[in-house]
Amino acid sequence: MRRLRLLDFSLASVTAFVYLSLYLPILLVFVLSFFSMRRGRVNWETFSLGWYAKLFKNEALGDALLNSLLVGIAAVLVAMVFATLAAINANSRPSSRSAQFLEYVIFLPFLLPPIITGLSLLIYFREAGIPRGLPTIIVGHAVFVLAIIYRILLTRLNALSRSLVDAAHDLGASNLQTFRYIILPNLRMPLLTSGILAFALSFDETMITLFLTGTDATLPVRLYAMIRVGFTPEINALIALILGFSIILTVALAYAWGRNSGSGGNLIAKTSK
Amino acid sequence: MANPETGSPAAADVGLPLLRIRGLGARFGTVEAIKPLDLDVNDGEFLTILGPSGSGKTTLLRTIAGFQPPSAGRIEFDGKDIADLPINRRPFNTVFQDYALFPHMTVRENVGFGLRVRGTAKAQLNDRVDAALGIVGLEEFDARYPSQLSGGQQQRTALARAMICEPRLILLDEPLAALDAALRRQMQNFLKTLQRQSGITFLFVTHDQSEAITMSDRICVMRSGSIEQIGTPRELYYRPKSRFVAAFFGASNIVEPCRIHETRDDATIVETPVGQFRISGPPPDSSSGLALAIRPEALGPEDETRVNTLELEVVAVSFVGSETITELRHRRTSQVFTMKTRSDPAARPPDIGSILNIGFDPAECALVTEAAN
Ligand SMILES: Nc1ncnc2c1ncn2[C@@H]1O[C@H](COP(=O)(O)OP(=O)(O)OP(=O)(O)O)[C@@H](O)[C@H]1O
Ligand SMILES: [Mg+2]
Repeated sequence: MRRLRLLDFSLASVTAFVYLSLYLPILLVFVLSFFSMRRGRVNWETFSLGWYAKLFKNEALGDALLNSLLVGIAAVLVAMVFATLAAINANSRPSSRSAQFLEYVIFLPFLLPPIITGLSLLIYFREAGIPRGLPTIIVGHAVFVLAIIYRILLTRLNALSRSLVDAAHDLGASNLQTFRYIILPNLRMPLLTSGILAFALSFDETMITLFLTGTDATLPVRLYAMIRVGFTPEINALIALILGFSIILTVALAYAWGRNSGSGGNLIAKTSK
Repeated sequence: MANPETGSPAAADVGLPLLRIRGLGARFGTVEAIKPLDLDVNDGEFLTILGPSGSGKTTLLRTIAGFQPPSAGRIEFDGKDIADLPINRRPFNTVFQDYALFPHMTVRENVGFGLRVRGTAKAQLNDRVDAALGIVGLEEFDARYPSQLSGGQQQRTALARAMICEPRLILLDEPLAALDAALRRQMQNFLKTLQRQSGITFLFVTHDQSEAITMSDRICVMRSGSIEQIGTPRELYYRPKSRFVAAFFGASNIVEPCRIHETRDDATIVETPVGQFRISGPPPDSSSGLALAIRPEALGPEDETRVNTLELEVVAVSFVGSETITELRHRRTSQVFTMKTRSDPAARPPDIGSILNIGFDPAECALVTEAAN
């Protein structure tokens, strides 16, 4: 009994320590985005949304944030198309050469040090005469997140009974109809979850982006550049915003996953042509 | 090669078979899952493919359905070669062993799928789905998802879905394998009645001989990728051609070697290590590995119909309810026999070690060969 109490207590304190060291700095940033500091203490009388207002007037940061969102969404969409095609190919012909080759190649950008991926892309774009800018960043990110989307989609496809596709064909469905009515509805959840995950990866990708950025920086790259000149307090507001956004994404992801593991669900009920 | 016409009651009055298979083979790499075979399926019949695990039943069905490309041969449906028709254009449907119901669609959407992909108008589609659901007794379940159905209900959904486009032929791969014994018997009756009333031709796969006997018009026995014998349930039961078929249908007493002693008009006299016996009918064409197969229930006390006689020693007696199973041994050769008789509440079981005069009817045994073809 006594021993157990002691154990409970030490476990609790370790947990507390971990959580505090993880979340205290974050909490501090959050607080500081609303209040100002005086002599090392938070001045609770100074609540204002001033830093947020300042943030939105800061064109450099605002543009960078927009770029990041744009790059993330575009890269995820591009990667989804290719990942879906690759996963369907790998699922329907698992022992074909193309599927096995793809299996290795698709993970390379994910496993290679980002600096190598970034550098190779940079050299490639330069040789090909493509100017650096948002499009090149989008390509870089799409290549990078392709693997994660592909893997999640393939896992789902492999869990689907092969005879579903057979049954659809048997009942007279063309390949396109089978894709639309059978495969795609079963890929909605995995597409959503892998999309969110991939977007999060793209959002904080720095190293590859550094090599591919022209004049339009993404947020991490902009922040990285700001280290040299020093940060202004609106950075706290920015971090607090991203934090809130991340929490929403995480909850959405957890919710989607929770539903996904349940039974089928009525994903494409009553689709009519 | 087996003669596909054998024992088909319908073959005489139906000119052209609905499905005509000639020299059809299928292979996986070097494995020959189906050796080139011929098979005719007549319009309106219930034909069962019966065979042990790995004998190629599923592969044969999948090749007919188009999921598995044939390595040789032709498939004709209604007189037309369908070898080059893609799966979705073949004029028949499949009921899968795992049902393959679409998990994200309701029963109604599942059943209507075949019509929907054909672009059938909504009102007509709904009417036909209602009709199909009515036939399989699932009217009340149309809004449920497959995961909310029992095994039997899923089975019925799969059946309704396969029937919705009114195919003339339905292929069923062990559709009852996943059901428990009671439900299975119920579904056997249901399927048989449905088949008879709808007139749809059923090509049905099972590895359960009693299921095959009770449901089929004809049975096609498969063994390692070939057809061993085709015939009516009675023919296979009473006139198996090979040891394999005999054993599959429970004729477990095999006496060998057999030598043909004399061939008469209506009977054959054979010489065996345990005596000389008279067998009804002509001897088989081939005589390689000739043996005599006797059903356990054909053995009984010697009387005027059981004219083939043997003196056998009782080794063991077990009472299994309505039947009594007696293990018997032939003294000189040590050949063992199993006898199955109706239990008689008045009779005293024979003593172990006693000698009985046992006989069997010449019409209730069969001369079988090593292989039927
Ligand atoms: N995809 C495959 N690849 C290689 N060999 C296969 C494949 N499918 C089946 N076979 C082989 O072909 C033979 C016939 O298999 P099939 O599935 O047709 O048997 P079955 O009679 O349906 O058996 P069961 O009663 O177990 O379902 C077996 O020897 C099997 O190992
Ligand atoms: Mg099988």
